[in-house]
Amino acid sequence: MTKAPDPRLPASQPAVELRGIVKTYGASQALRGADLVLHPGQIHGLVGQNGAGKSTIIRILAGIEQADPGSGLVQVFGEAVSHPSPEEMERRGIHFIHQDRLLVPTATVAEAIALGQEPKFGPFYNGRRATRQAEALIRRHFGLDIPGNRLIRDLSAAEQKIVQISRALASDARVLVLDEPTAALVRREVESLFSVLRNLRSRGLSILFISHYMDEIEEICDHVTVFHDGRHVASHPVASTSIPEIVTEMVNREVGELYPRRSHAPGAVVLKVEGLGRDGAFSDVGFELRAGEVLGISGLLGSGAKEILATLFGLAPADHGRVTLEGRPYAPGSVRAAVSRGVVLVPEDRRRQGVSVSHSIRENITLGNLGLLSRLGLVSRSSERSLAGRGIADLSIRTTGPDQKVAALSGGNQQKVVLSKWLSSGARVYLLDEPTVAVDVGAKVEIYTVLNRLASEGAAVIVLSSDLLELAGLCDRALIIHRGRIAGRFEGETLRPELMLAAASGATPHLPGPNMKGAA
Amino acid sequence: MTLAQTEITLPGPGPGRVRAWTATLSGGDVTRLVALATVALVFIGFAVTTRGFFTSWNILNVIEQSAIPGILALAMALVILTGGSDVQTGGIDLSLAANMGLSAAIFAVALRAGWGEPAALAATLGAGMLVGVVNGLAVVRLGILPLLATLAMSNIVGGLELVLTENTVIPATSPILNVLSAGSFLGLSSLTWVLILVSTLAAVILHASPPGLRLYATGGHPEAARAAGVSVGRLILGSYAVAGFTAAFAAILSVSRLSASSTGTGEMLLSILAAALLGTVFSRRGVPTVAGTLIAVLFIGFLSNGFQLKGLSSNWVSGVQGALILAVVAATALNRRKGG
Repeated sequence: MTKAPDPRLPASQPAVELRGIVKTYGASQALRGADLVLHPGQIHGLVGQNGAGKSTIIRILAGIEQADPGSGLVQVFGEAVSHPSPEEMERRGIHFIHQDRLLVPTATVAEAIALGQEPKFGPFYNGRRATRQAEALIRRHFGLDIPGNRLIRDLSAAEQKIVQISRALASDARVLVLDEPTAALVRREVESLFSVLRNLRSRGLSILFISHYMDEIEEICDHVTVFHDGRHVASHPVASTSIPEIVTEMVNREVGELYPRRSHAPGAVVLKVEGLGRDGAFSDVGFELRAGEVLGISGLLGSGAKEILATLFGLAPADHGRVTLEGRPYAPGSVRAAVSRGVVLVPEDRRRQGVSVSHSIRENITLGNLGLLSRLGLVSRSSERSLAGRGIADLSIRTTGPDQKVAALSGGNQQKVVLSKWLSSGARVYLLDEPTVAVDVGAKVEIYTVLNRLASEGAAVIVLSSDLLELAGLCDRALIIHRGRIAGRFEGETLRPELMLAAASGATPHLPGPNMKGAA
Repeated sequence: MTLAQTEITLPGPGPGRVRAWTATLSGGDVTRLVALATVALVFIGFAVTTRGFFTSWNILNVIEQSAIPGILALAMALVILTGGSDVQTGGIDLSLAANMGLSAAIFAVALRAGWGEPAALAATLGAGMLVGVVNGLAVVRLGILPLLATLAMSNIVGGLELVLTENTVIPATSPILNVLSAGSFLGLSSLTWVLILVSTLAAVILHASPPGLRLYATGGHPEAARAAGVSVGRLILGSYAVAGFTAAFAAILSVSRLSASSTGTGEMLLSILAAALLGTVFSRRGVPTVAGTLIAVLFIGFLSNGFQLKGLSSNWVSGVQGALILAVVAATALNRRKGG
C-alpha cells in the first residue's frame, strides 16, 4: 500500500483550517484556542481523553455549534465560513459518519443512500435509478457488489458503515469525518474499512479519523493531532512519533492529592479467578484479590471489562474457568446467589438499577437489608431509622433528613445513597461500576474515603472505572482489558494512567502482559 | 483521564464479505409466505364449505363493505408507518373511528340546518382534519405518547358527537350522497371505486414519491431521517392531520351508505387497527403498506362475511380481530427481540 502524497509536505491549500477556536459553555471553557488543520489526500487522527475538547471541535466543524464570537477562524478550502451551519458545512463538502450507524433499518440500500436527494421521474421517486446509482457508487469506491434492494437491517455492521460512507460520497464529499468508526466492527471488518479509507485518500479526500484505539491511529493515519484540556497540544506526522509519546501528550497530568492514601495491609485471598471466560465477551481472565485490597479494572467501550463484573455478580454465567470465593467454588447463577455469598454490586446507572428516586433515603438504604431489620416478619421502624442515620452520617449525605426523597438529591448524593444501601450489608466483596461517574469532586473524595474504609475493614473491593487517573490514585492494582483479554497488569511503579491508557488502546509492546494487538 | 465506557457493545455479527442475497430466506420472507398462505387457505376453505360465499355478488358486496374500514385502515397505516411501528411508543391513532362519527354528525347536522353541500363538506373535512392536527400537536409538540393522546382525543370527540346529535340518528340526503350510495360504473359500485381511487393515490404517494420515502424513513429511524435533512416533526404532524381528514372523508361515505349519521362508530376501531397491524405482516420490511393493508382489510371482511353465512354470531368476529391484533403485536415484538 503506497502512502499517497507525502503527509510531511502538506499540499498547498488545507481542506479545513480551524485556528484559535474558543468555545465557552456557561462558566466553563470547552475550547481555549484550539487548532485543527486537515489536508487533502490525508488521513488525520484526532485523539484526546473525554473532555479534552474533541467532540466540541467536531461539532464546530459540523456547524452544529458556533465558536465564541470574535474567536478564531473557520476556513474550508481556503474560504472563510462566516455563518457555519450543518447545511452550509455539508454544502462545502464536509460529511460526517456518525459512530452509531444512522441508517433506517427498514430501508433498502438504494433508499438509504438516496434519502434526502432522491432521483426523480417527474414528481415520482425513481427507485430503479436510485438502485443503479447506489450499486455503481459502491462498486466504484469499494469494489463491492451490494445489491441496492437489500434491506439495511440485513447488512453486516461493516456493510452498513460502507453505506453510510457511500451516502456522503453520493453528495460529493471532499472531507469525511469518521467518529469512532470501528467501535462495532470486528477485526476483519476493520481491515476492509481501512482499505476503503486508503482508497478514498488516494482520490484526494481529506479524512478526519477519531478513535480511542492507538493501534488504529498508528495503522491508518498519516498525521495525528492531540487534544488536551481544550487545546491542541501536539500535531505531527505519525511516522515521526510513537504511541507512548502520543499517550503522554494526551495525559499531561499528574495524580493529585485528590486521592486519600491509606495503610496497605492485604490479608488472605478472598477471591481467586482462573481462566474465566464468557463467549463473545471476554476470555482467559485470571487474578487474585485479597481482603483489604482495592483492585481496578478498566477498558474501552466494548472491551469486556463490564462483562467481567456482570459475570462475577451472577448477571451472566461464565462459559469457562473457575472462581473461588473464600476457599469455596463460586459460580453464581443469579444475583441472589451472588448476594447470599457476600458479593454486592453498585451499578453505574443508579437511576435505573441502584436507587428508587421516588422513595426516601431511609427506604432506599434499608431496602437491601430488610433481613437485618425485620423481626417476626415486620420491619422495625426504629432500627430502620438508625441504619439510615448511620448511612447518612458515614457518607455525609447532604440532606434534610432520612425521609427526604432521593429524587431531590444531587447526583453525587444519590450515588452516596446507593453506596450506603450496599455498604450497610456487611459484604465480603464489593463490585463498583463507575462509582464516581457524574459526581462532583467533593463527593468523589467522600466516596474514595468510604471505599478505603471498607478495604481497611477487611473487604475486597473491585472498582470498574474509565477514569484511569482515579484507578491510579485509588487502587492497589489494576487490570486493563483490551478486546476481551487482560492486556496489562499494573501495580506500584507501573500503576500510571498513561501506561494504562496505552494498554487499553491496544499498544502494549513495552508492557508486561500479552500483546493483544489484532485479536478479534 | 477517562475512556469512553458508557455501554456495552459487542462486535457485530456476520462476515465482512457480501452474502448472496438469494441464498437464504430471511425471517420476514417466511412470515410473509405463511401469512399469504393462511389468507388463501381461509378464503378457499369458506369457498368450498359455505354456500353463497364464492359468488361474484357476495365478493363484490364484501369489497364494497370494506371500502369505509379500508380507507380508515389506510389512514391508520399512514400514522403507524410515519410514527414508527412500535406499538407502545410508535404512531397510532385511536381516535379515527370516533372522529368519523363526529364528522358524520357534523355533516348531517349541517345539511339539516340547511347549509349548502359545499359548505357542509368543507365544515366536515375541516373538522376532521382539525382533530388530526390536535392529535399531531399533542404528539409532536407536547411529546405525549400517541397511544394516550389519541385515546383521550377519542373520548373528547365521542363526547362532542353525543352533544351534537343528542344520541340520535340524524337523517341526511344530498345529491352527492345519492351518487355515492346508488351510483355504479363498470359493474362496480361508487364506494368500490372510491376505495380503488384512494388506494391508488395512497400507493403512488407512499411507494413512488420522495415524500413517501421520507415518511417511511421517519418511522424507521427518526434520527437517521433527521440527519438526512428530513423534517421529522412536520411529517409526523402531517400524518395525523391527513389521517383526521381521511376520517372525515370516510364519514361522508358512511353518511351516504346509511343516509344518516350513526352512533356507535367507535366499534369500528378494533377492525381498522387489526387491519393496519395485520397489514404489516404482508410486507418484506415489516412496515404498513397499501397492498398489505388492503389484503388485511379484505381478509377481515371475508372472515366476518363467512361467519355470517355460516350462521355464526358476529360476536365471534370481534374476538377473532382481537386475537389477530395480539398475534401480530406478539410476533413483531418477538422478531424485534430476536433480530434487533
